[in-house]
Amino acid sequence: MDKRAANLKNCVLVAALLPLAFLAVRSYLGELTANPIEYVSQATGWWTLCFLSITLAITPIRKLFKFQWIFPLRRLFGLIAFFYACVHLATWVILDQFFDFESMLLDIKDRPYITIGMSAFVITSILAYTSRKSIRLALGPQRWVHIHRLIYVIAILGVTHFYLIVKRDTTEPLVFAAIIAVLLAARFIARQKK
Amino acid sequence: MVIPWVGFPLHKLIQAVEPTGSAKYVEFVTLHDPEQMPGQRSPILDWPYREGLRLDEALHPLTILSVGIFGEVLPNQNGAPIRLVVPWKYGFKSAKSIVQINLTETQPKTAWNLANSREYGFYSNVNPAVNHPRWSQRKERRIGEFRKRETLPFNGYGEWVASLYSGMDLEKFF
Repeated sequence: MDKRAANLKNCVLVAALLPLAFLAVRSYLGELTANPIEYVSQATGWWTLCFLSITLAITPIRKLFKFQWIFPLRRLFGLIAFFYACVHLATWVILDQFFDFESMLLDIKDRPYITIGMSAFVITSILAYTSRKSIRLALGPQRWVHIHRLIYVIAILGVTHFYLIVKRDTTEPLVFAAIIAVLLAARFIARQKK
Repeated sequence: MVIPWVGFPLHKLIQAVEPTGSAKYVEFVTLHDPEQMPGQRSPILDWPYREGLRLDEALHPLTILSVGIFGEVLPNQNGAPIRLVVPWKYGFKSAKSIVQINLTETQPKTAWNLANSREYGFYSNVNPAVNHPRWSQRKERRIGEFRKRETLPFNGYGEWVASLYSGMDLEKFF
């Protein structure tokens, strides 16, 4: 990998961790609202969807503007999305439920939005693991592509998870839904053209 | 948090106006002022925010009209100048910034029930045994605390209010 590509990846990584750094600073300053656990949970979930959307946008941008240099960033953004998903899950397991596994298992079974969220996380984990070069080579291109097309499922599950948890104001989930719909449509159209 | 409200029992007001025999419910209409409250500029709910109680609930000594909190006059965001406090029901029943109180014969329309009748019923008594369609009501976290605690029926006021609902199917009348 050449030096410019490495530098670009490092810059992206640092920038992508800023939201988490801001959360940590806010936590230290006691500025996490009167309901801090909900705030952190909501923020980490929102950033997961953000980075997921960016990951989905990489290929359409590359094809549209012929930016070949952007391609290595796709895996990086995907892993960042997975990282935020891990923090989001950790917030639930540690801060919200405090390791009450019985309650969590019941939730996963009974609360559709949690079933959906957990399914999305499991699939995301699979994609994160198989993004490793050794695994990718072992799987071969056909199987790898099939597995990684699951990102479309993750996107739909993620947005649905968000939509199901808001009490009344569905503006934000619907905005994400619209963005992801456009990104998925772009892929679908590109495939039709072939 | 357990909130120290400053106020008086609603029944004092209701008794002062001498309701007729046909009064079965009390309806509360609240302030609709998008200038002061930007959230009301979008039709998230059917403004003005309305709430209601059955007459016996309204006459119960625990139903309070509050004008202050923590020994101070109510701040705007807590429902100034006067608001309802019904401690055994979910918080959205405790209407804020009341501008009109009506005695009605039929069950009044309430904002959240209009928005989503499957999720928000008229009674909305705190009930860990009856789940919201999308999430559980079994546990709660008090603002300012870390660990969750088991939610109590009627928010812990069962001893004083459960008799209001004896014989009622609280899964049906949620």
